Amino acid sequence: MSLWRQLSRGLRVLARRSESDADLDDEVRHFYEETEKSYAARGISPAEARRLARIEIGDATVIRERVRDYGWENLVGTIWADLRLATRMLRKTPVFTAVVVLVISLGSGAVTTVFSAMNSLLLRPVPGVADHGQLAALQPIRSDGVLLQQGSYREYAYLRERSRTLAEIAAWGKVALTIAGKGEGATIWGNLVSGNYFDVLGAHPSLGRFFLADEDRTPLAAPVIVVSYAFWRSHLAGDPSVVGRSVLVNGNPFTLIGVAGKDFHGTYTGIRADAWVPLMMQPLLRPRANLDASSWLWMFGRMNDGITTAAAQKELGALVSSRAEAEGEPRGPAGFRSMAVFPFSGLPGGEGVVIFRLIAVLLGTATLVLIIAGVNVGAMLAARSATRGRELAVRAALGAGRTRLLRQLLTEILLLFTLGAAGGFAFAVLATAALEQLPVPANIPLQLELSPDARVMTFCLGTSLLAGLVFGLWPALRVVRTDITARMRDGAQTGGSGRNLIGRTLIIGQLALSLTLLVAAGLFVRALQRGQQMDPGFTMSRVLTTTFEAESWGYDESRSRAFYGSLRDRVAAMPHVAAVSYTSRLPLTGGSSTEDIEFDGKTINVQRSSVDTSYFAALQIPLLQGRAFLVSDNAHSQRVAIVNQSLARRLGLEGAVLGRTITFLGKPTTIVGIVRDTKYATLGESTPPFAYLPLSQVWQPTQTLVVRSNDDSEWLGPAIQQVVIALDPALPRPKMSSMSEATSIVLLPQRAAAIVTGALGLIGLVLATMGLYGTMAYSVQRRTREIGIRVALGAQRATVLSMVVREGMLLTGMAIVVGVFLAGIASQLIEGFLFNVSPLDAATYVGMSFAFLFVAFVASYLPARRAALSDPLLALRAE
Amino acid sequence: MTDRIVDASLVKGFGLDEPTTDVIQGTLDMLILKTLSLEPMHGFGIARRIEQISKGVFKVNPGSLLTAFQRLERAGYLDSEWHQTENGRRAKFYTLTRPGRKQLDIETADWARRVSAVTRLLKADG
Repeated sequence: MSLWRQLSRGLRVLARRSESDADLDDEVRHFYEETEKSYAARGISPAEARRLARIEIGDATVIRERVRDYGWENLVGTIWADLRLATRMLRKTPVFTAVVVLVISLGSGAVTTVFSAMNSLLLRPVPGVADHGQLAALQPIRSDGVLLQQGSYREYAYLRERSRTLAEIAAWGKVALTIAGKGEGATIWGNLVSGNYFDVLGAHPSLGRFFLADEDRTPLAAPVIVVSYAFWRSHLAGDPSVVGRSVLVNGNPFTLIGVAGKDFHGTYTGIRADAWVPLMMQPLLRPRANLDASSWLWMFGRMNDGITTAAAQKELGALVSSRAEAEGEPRGPAGFRSMAVFPFSGLPGGEGVVIFRLIAVLLGTATLVLIIAGVNVGAMLAARSATRGRELAVRAALGAGRTRLLRQLLTEILLLFTLGAAGGFAFAVLATAALEQLPVPANIPLQLELSPDARVMTFCLGTSLLAGLVFGLWPALRVVRTDITARMRDGAQTGGSGRNLIGRTLIIGQLALSLTLLVAAGLFVRALQRGQQMDPGFTMSRVLTTTFEAESWGYDESRSRAFYGSLRDRVAAMPHVAAVSYTSRLPLTGGSSTEDIEFDGKTINVQRSSVDTSYFAALQIPLLQGRAFLVSDNAHSQRVAIVNQSLARRLGLEGAVLGRTITFLGKPTTIVGIVRDTKYATLGESTPPFAYLPLSQVWQPTQTLVVRSNDDSEWLGPAIQQVVIALDPALPRPKMSSMSEATSIVLLPQRAAAIVTGALGLIGLVLATMGLYGTMAYSVQRRTREIGIRVALGAQRATVLSMVVREGMLLTGMAIVVGVFLAGIASQLIEGFLFNVSPLDAATYVGMSFAFLFVAFVASYLPARRAALSDPLLALRAE
Repeated sequence: MTDRIVDASLVKGFGLDEPTTDVIQGTLDMLILKTLSLEPMHGFGIARRIEQISKGVFKVNPGSLLTAFQRLERAGYLDSEWHQTENGRRAKFYTLTRPGRKQLDIETADWARRVSAVTRLLKADG
């Protein structure tokens, strides 16, 4: 009842404001009249009676205001009035408003952009997945403690059958698929998935259906395929009638049974899958993969109610271990003895941590920028409220309460920061779009979805308003708290040394923080340079590459061999081509294949790749001992391997291992050569033991062509493409890239970090310089009179100039000391990304400090010059 | 200008020697409810009644009174309607509602309890 009354009466008042005001006035007037009457009744003259009544009752307006203050509807009214007034005040000073909003937008945009990336990489659940809280990712741990992402089918089947903590376990592996339905075929990444894959995820098709349990029971029994919504739109013309029809997948007829949900692109963040086929179709689509034993399957499961990841981890670890014991698997370092269980996300356990660290650093950096922006705005607001002192004093004198004044000021501040948040959000939309365009290697279907969503919008508004409260509140409080009458007396001479000190501290803080950011950016740039100059152990220039997924064309081994062979011969015959070869894995593309080898009773875990003859010539990797692979090393001859220096040392015998035999992939293999160590997976790695095997003996269907030429001829790429098409017109046109393009992914973190911290640092520098300029200009303005007197008394302009500049440089000097100190601490956090560039790299610190000094000099020189050139007479008259 | 100086006793209430005070905090609502329990009344009437019955000890500020009306009306203890006064003036008359009457009983009982407690405390020492 009473709530209803509150609401209805409040609404009535809101709807008929003037009427209810008139009623209230009438009631107050009634009091006047009656009081007047009672005085008159005692024989007091009417005029005197009116005066006495007025004194006794008090001012009508005050009473009315007081009564009107009661009730929620009046809050609505006053907030609305506050907003209107705030808008008017901000419109009156358009330049000030624009600058403040711009500054907030920059700060808020920086934080929002980084948060948006964090949101889509780490926080946002995989799109199209239901109840992701119950899902868990399963990753095997090797005996030597290395955390892997994938396990084998054997493990998967064992766990799926026995686990009690997980209701269901699903598995998937990557596969390259060339799909031809309507029009030209396209090679895309697909997933080979267990029959329960979509059910475990709780995903729903947008058309047709997903897999039945029966369709993943018997090998090769059910050639069915599900495609992504995007693929259906782009390659199948969005035609609903394709469901149920046949499409060619790697040259084999498959039935298209469904189209996945709109945003579903598999479960691996950044790498989109566009089609799904049952695992049991693997022998057809990925014939070389050893379904049973090799580790190529990502696994995840849905936990039973009340089960924690810790409990699941315990159970699965025990299962994995008992399976290995039961099946008598060798206890090599690469053997599995336990299982890690992570909360399900698009990033595998190990990678998530790295990305999380990087983003945490960036988020911290962006927060610094927001703080700088906030401090700047705070200083601007403080300066403005000094000039607004008179206006506020008049309003206070007219009866506005302190809280009312404060509320008014806060409304203005929050309005500014809301506008700033809008600007920041727009900034983030543009910046994430630009980040998504960062170049990535052509053969990885990397697709980063960084664009902001509703959560990011909330974050953006929230942080902006919080910054508004933190940095806007103190100037407001200051104004309201200061003695209002004092302010009336001398509106011009506001602020004493106290404010000055705070203002100066803030300027030093801003300058110092932006210097810190610039130093970080400088360090990342140095790391990038170092990375680019770092000798990978092979020659990058004049090497063209392209990767072929022969299996996805439906080629079997002999057809692939024929294709690769004739392509090699034709390219080798082209003019200016120095060497042509293939490798199963191009170095510096981030990945590696590992294997346990046995020698002399020792088991060593090594990385490996299969290469064609003349691989070492193509990449100019020096052969130290022995020979390169020969055409005579073939499937029928003795197995051979070439090892790097590190592996030679690990094998012992002081590296004299030429001609010795190791057990590799279960076969006795003779070491015929030793090559120099190079970089393999990443630039930052410590050199692993590495073994090369001839492609002719350890076949891999996916191969990367490596062509070295004698000159920088541009015709070579198109010429190679033409040869490929000539060999088989049905093949998709290969994407050619230079070696440095193909390996650019290894520097992606440094490149991204350099761009982001550099951008943030520049924004910070602009903001801080604006702050310094503003402070100096303000200080010069306040000292107009003093400077005028000095000049009138004969001070040289140069003296005035240096006086002001010295003040600015003093602030900058202190800021540099603080900034260098902060940078020294902060840079320790990014040491891991720096490729051995010292976090205290002197060149960066000195260089940035000088650049900084120069900018600060300009920012204080300009106001100083104005002061020096000012006419002393005008300056003195100004008061 | 000098004849504008006013006898202070004339300004305060009805010129009695007894000093007037503000209504004891928290009792204004109860006093309004009590006054209205006799008959519906307009705002000024309530103020005058409280002053008269308290023999001028309590002086009600119109601002507080009108705010209290808003509060009590929203709480559902009062209803209001515009009527003619005996002098033929239009005024807002307040009526006690049934929940208002109940509230008055509650507050009266509570007040009695507190007064007797305070009285006991004051006596205890002497």
